[in-house]
Amino acid sequence: MSELRIGVYVCNCGTNIAHVVDAEALLAYAAELPGVAVARGYRYMCSNPGQEMISHDIRELGLNRVVVAACSPRMHERTFRTACRNAGLNPYLCEMANIREQCSWVHSDRAAATEKAKALTRGAVLRVARNESLEGLTADMCPTTLVLGGGIAGLTAALELAEGGVPVVLVEKAEQLGGNLARVDLTAPYFYSARDLLRERLMRVQENSNVTVHLRSQLTSLTGFVGNFDAEIGGNGSSTTSVRVGNVIVATGYREFDAERVTHFGWGKLPNVITSFEFECMLRGGRIEMKDGRLPQYAAIIHCVGSRSAEFHGYCSRVCCMTALKYAHEIKSAVPGCYVSDLYIDMHAFGKGCEDFYRRSSEAKTLFLMYGKGERPVIRRAAAGDDCDMLIEVDEQLSGERIEIPADLVILMVGMEARPDAAEVAHTVNISQDKDGWFIESHPKLDPVATTTDGVYIAGTCASPKDIPDSVAQARAAAGRILARIAKGKIEIDGVFAEVNEALCSGCRICNELCPYSAIEYDLETRRSHVIPAACKACGACVAGCPAGAIKGRHFTDAQIFAQIEGVLV
Amino acid sequence: MSYEPRIVGFLCNWCSYTGADLAGTSRIQYPANVRIIRVMCSARVDPTFVVHALAEGADGVLICGCHPGDCHYSEGNYKTMRRYPLLKRLLAAYGIEQERVRLEWVSASEGQRFADIVADMTERLRALGPCRVRSGLEADLLTR
Repeated sequence: MSELRIGVYVCNCGTNIAHVVDAEALLAYAAELPGVAVARGYRYMCSNPGQEMISHDIRELGLNRVVVAACSPRMHERTFRTACRNAGLNPYLCEMANIREQCSWVHSDRAAATEKAKALTRGAVLRVARNESLEGLTADMCPTTLVLGGGIAGLTAALELAEGGVPVVLVEKAEQLGGNLARVDLTAPYFYSARDLLRERLMRVQENSNVTVHLRSQLTSLTGFVGNFDAEIGGNGSSTTSVRVGNVIVATGYREFDAERVTHFGWGKLPNVITSFEFECMLRGGRIEMKDGRLPQYAAIIHCVGSRSAEFHGYCSRVCCMTALKYAHEIKSAVPGCYVSDLYIDMHAFGKGCEDFYRRSSEAKTLFLMYGKGERPVIRRAAAGDDCDMLIEVDEQLSGERIEIPADLVILMVGMEARPDAAEVAHTVNISQDKDGWFIESHPKLDPVATTTDGVYIAGTCASPKDIPDSVAQARAAAGRILARIAKGKIEIDGVFAEVNEALCSGCRICNELCPYSAIEYDLETRRSHVIPAACKACGACVAGCPAGAIKGRHFTDAQIFAQIEGVLV
Repeated sequence: MSYEPRIVGFLCNWCSYTGADLAGTSRIQYPANVRIIRVMCSARVDPTFVVHALAEGADGVLICGCHPGDCHYSEGNYKTMRRYPLLKRLLAAYGIEQERVRLEWVSASEGQRFADIVADMTERLRALGPCRVRSGLEADLLTR
């Protein structure tokens, strides 16, 4: 290794640093540290003249390391790395000492702050001496995309990709495409036919030669990394298909809450208590009727079955309120004269057009009754001689009275819940589930369709309850993200990742399990583990966990951190 | 001059280091006794880092990571959580007081919490006095 020539640059940040830290004393101290060739101060190191000072010294003084004692690296590390790169120095040979956010802004004792600034700068100088030049990598991006789930989200994503010229492998667990939407009659609030919505998607999927559909199939294994996943698709029988894919969209949907779990509504015992999906089936059949074939004279709709409850699911399922209003409309038009009661906790009408829909429903003589969140409407059989099949007792919140209403048909608005196989899917594609079982997005606001595994996206109700427009928007967003990446052609991989020294690796495979990204593979022939750089996110869990010390965390090596420890302990 | 404890803090990049930066942007004051070393995840904190810091003269070591469930790497902090008790047992076997090494969860929004932890730990270490590991090691080397 050539002789160390470190440049230390102390930023005053106007007065932000210099008003507490004695910058002159820090500079004099830094100049004497081992390997330091030059130490300079400036009012604003991040300004153009400040950066130019660094670039100039790299070129003219032959600096091979740079330390900038300034603000947080989260603020300007990129700035100074770029300045180094532009002057021909590898950007990983630049370190920052955080003497603003973690020193001058949090301390007021000048002597103590100056001593700490010296220690932090010394830590950075000792560390940078052990830093290594790093280069990023590039890898090919396989355009073929795997879409899991053939509901409205999966179909939409598949079409968006296929029509953009990308080969799509669409895997559906059921006998046919369509998902839960295939079980729905009309949609709220505009009464589009679900059948029509689906037919349009299905026809386009069938006509598109870019889409390969696997029915009665599921993903059994996914290995590799973004751009280069190897997917195994298992069919119902014994056949298995292997396919190389660049990205994956998980759109596996939801299942409805099991009404049998709420025993007090009598579902399964009272013949005319049915779930919303049973009612959809009735609507699709074209006739609303009681079990014995009579037309109902009184219909009651109960919201939040399994949702917003301490006992079952705490969350709101988002679509049930508007679906309930849709039912009120459909009952009133199909069975004129039928009285419809709607028992809700809160009416959630947040979607586009939904508040208007609620207002129209209120005017259409539906009886709205509000029950409390912890309350349970009680359903019992009516006595002989009553003109109804059942009676529902409820503590009505707005009137404050206990009210009894007649019912011939009770519809339970069952909420959405994570599918029972969601944990298996999450494990296979290496994504996480929240406490309710929904898949977790990379960022809930800024990155809602990406996940913590690069190249794996989520769309639709597998991520949380949502309506059709939101599911479609997510599907298109995920597809758009993938199309953009395919357009770039290559994937760029940061130079910071873990590396296994195969000479030291004992093949114990502890690191394989520690890695949250499945970025470490075990080679059966060499009996050694190795890291796939593109899949590694550089967390370092394997580095600290390797009992043989065989894994090096690039840019966060033991030697670098030990040096920094020694440095800060002046 | 009175004794001032020196604390080495290992902070994860995503939550705790950002939380410590927030203490700065919010101008929340805390004792100047901590020197922060940034790691990408608390799971990168090899137990030898802690031992090395104590051997190099630190009086205390603070490890901070994302709150359970919030780890940027989904589960790194759980690994830290499981390694930490083993480390504590090891340190106890060498007669190092429990208060010298501390694991805390600090989110990116918890600047005040970070400052409070540093203040509290500094106070406790002041009461405890200097760590004897380094002087012990030196004495050990001299007698060889």
